[in-house]
Amino acid sequence: MTINRRQFTAGMMGATGLAALGPTSALANRNDQMNILCWEGYNSDEVLSPFRRANGGSTVRAESGTSDPDMINKLRAGEVNVWDLINVNQPWAKAQLYPEGLIKPLNKERFLPYFENMLPEFQAPYPLAFADDGELIGMPQRYGPFSFVVNTNKISVDMAEDQGWDLFLDAAMSGRYGVLTYDNWNIMHMCMTAGIDPFEAVEGDNLQKFKQTADAIFAGAALKTDDLVAMNTALINGTIDAYFTGGTYTASPARFDGATNVRAITPKRGPVDGKGGLVWVELTSAVNNPDPSTLAEDFLEFVQSPEISKAVAFAEGTYNPVSQMGDEKVMSLFNADELDAIQWDSLSDDLSRSSDYRVVASYDELNELYNAAKRG
Amino acid sequence: MQQLDRKLGFFSALPMFVVLAVSFLAPLVVVVLFSVMPQKVFDLAHVPDFSSFPYFFEQGYYKSLLWSLGLAFCSTVILFIVCWPLAYGMAKVFGRFTLVITIAVVMSLFVSENIRLFGWVLTLMKGGLIDGHLQAWFGVGIDGALYNVPIIVFGLVYVYFPFMLFPLAQGISMVPDDARQAASDLGATRWQILKEVDLPLAAPGIMVGSLLSFVLAAGAIAESKLLGGQKIIVIADEVETAFTYGQNWPLGSALAVILIAVIGGFAIFGINLINIDQIMGKKR
Repeated sequence: MTINRRQFTAGMMGATGLAALGPTSALANRNDQMNILCWEGYNSDEVLSPFRRANGGSTVRAESGTSDPDMINKLRAGEVNVWDLINVNQPWAKAQLYPEGLIKPLNKERFLPYFENMLPEFQAPYPLAFADDGELIGMPQRYGPFSFVVNTNKISVDMAEDQGWDLFLDAAMSGRYGVLTYDNWNIMHMCMTAGIDPFEAVEGDNLQKFKQTADAIFAGAALKTDDLVAMNTALINGTIDAYFTGGTYTASPARFDGATNVRAITPKRGPVDGKGGLVWVELTSAVNNPDPSTLAEDFLEFVQSPEISKAVAFAEGTYNPVSQMGDEKVMSLFNADELDAIQWDSLSDDLSRSSDYRVVASYDELNELYNAAKRG
Repeated sequence: MQQLDRKLGFFSALPMFVVLAVSFLAPLVVVVLFSVMPQKVFDLAHVPDFSSFPYFFEQGYYKSLLWSLGLAFCSTVILFIVCWPLAYGMAKVFGRFTLVITIAVVMSLFVSENIRLFGWVLTLMKGGLIDGHLQAWFGVGIDGALYNVPIIVFGLVYVYFPFMLFPLAQGISMVPDDARQAASDLGATRWQILKEVDLPLAAPGIMVGSLLSFVLAAGAIAESKLLGGQKIIVIADEVETAFTYGQNWPLGSALAVILIAVIGGFAIFGINLINIDQIMGKKR
């Protein structure tokens, strides 16, 4: 084939035209579009479709992440230009996203009133939603106690709560439990199993104690997986009797399916101010997008409404309580089976025995020991 | 005019060449640059300190690499043994039925790897398809089918089956029937024909199939996670953990670079073992 000068010039003009289209569209006004990076649930049709209808013609996209750090990596890798809202667990916003300028403060006048209708634990207002400089950096919604899960047909709730984390060091449990490899949680829980407060600096003998505990727990694990469905399946079919690291978030899908013998446990006592459990709370924050969309705060306000709060709580995948359940209108939308799935009967007690998930002071050192133990 | 055409062709191809270079090479360059950065930084504006590489030995990451390579080697050998008879049949015996086998094997690729592996979890788990039926029929089951090392090898063999089968069939189809018949006429045994005729002449297919299977298996992660219950932690898992829970991009990049270098080394070594040009009948 022979290429003549005219064809070549035409090709180059076409290429130049295509290149010119990019920046033009990137600079367009974004108030008719909104992108949210979130845990599963906020990306469901039950949540997004009503918002799309209420904002006719708007393009609303949501992408579900598989872990907090995975989502934060996206912002760090330059995707602040893409996302308008990010939904991650509470310590990340305050400790990393806000100090690094990846998220920006919310309008207090617009959002502070919503705290008044939340459950008592989140009123006054909830401290982890605020940065050290007093700015509101995220709205809490879904939450859940997160410690470990047992099959109550094999291990009674009372025994599990009393024995607490020692259950996993009991020789009789060797080969009878799994480890859900949510690594950041396991590091905190292994500290607590070793009798160490994970939110204080871990040094000297305590590092050795952590190592021994991590080695022992991994050595006795029948399986390790980061898939909660696989873990619940193993619990239900009798491969294991308990799993290390889990909570209402992981147990609720099995419970809602009828396996109410799968139950999240919060130990009665532990090393964090006497508390044996931890609780996660998701915060939804506004990404510091250089070309922001006004729909971001509109959406954040939209998900506070009773119907959408319920939809967020019972979206696909996992089922979780929401801070808005302090409002009668929200509570009335839940039926008995749904409340049982999220263990509403003991939720308040579980929360009182749980400490907030915070930044782990010695995470790097503990992470090294943890991964070495996991490797075996 | 010819020279001008060549130049115009070059300039026309230049944009696509740049696109390809950026898409293939840029991510690799970024990974290599991150691998020499100080620990836990998230950009490249730092003085390189190569601190991640000593970690590979100090923290025991080499164990995960050895596991990955060992599993990849085992699965490649098993794949070769399992695929050879079928590939031979496809190339020399089955005729039109080969198309049916090809479609059947290719169809399996239409379903995502994770879904297929979940299928095996449901089949092999306690109370699953096999154990459940055995329990119901005979009162005894298979308790420990999942969460061990052999099941990870099984998963690798299952997933990478097509990547060995098709190159192998292609390689065997290059063996002339005349050569086999001549060897037989001259008194060669079946074993001798396999060793002296089939294997050397099908070597390009064997090498391509083995390399594809080995390289893919060495970087595999789902088999160990889903079937193996992370009984062992493979190197790809370590890379993922370093990037996510570890929030240590330089360490993750260094592990990835080591994996790429080791596998690349094996690939080059493997290709040099055989003289493909000579086998293909080309003169140097």
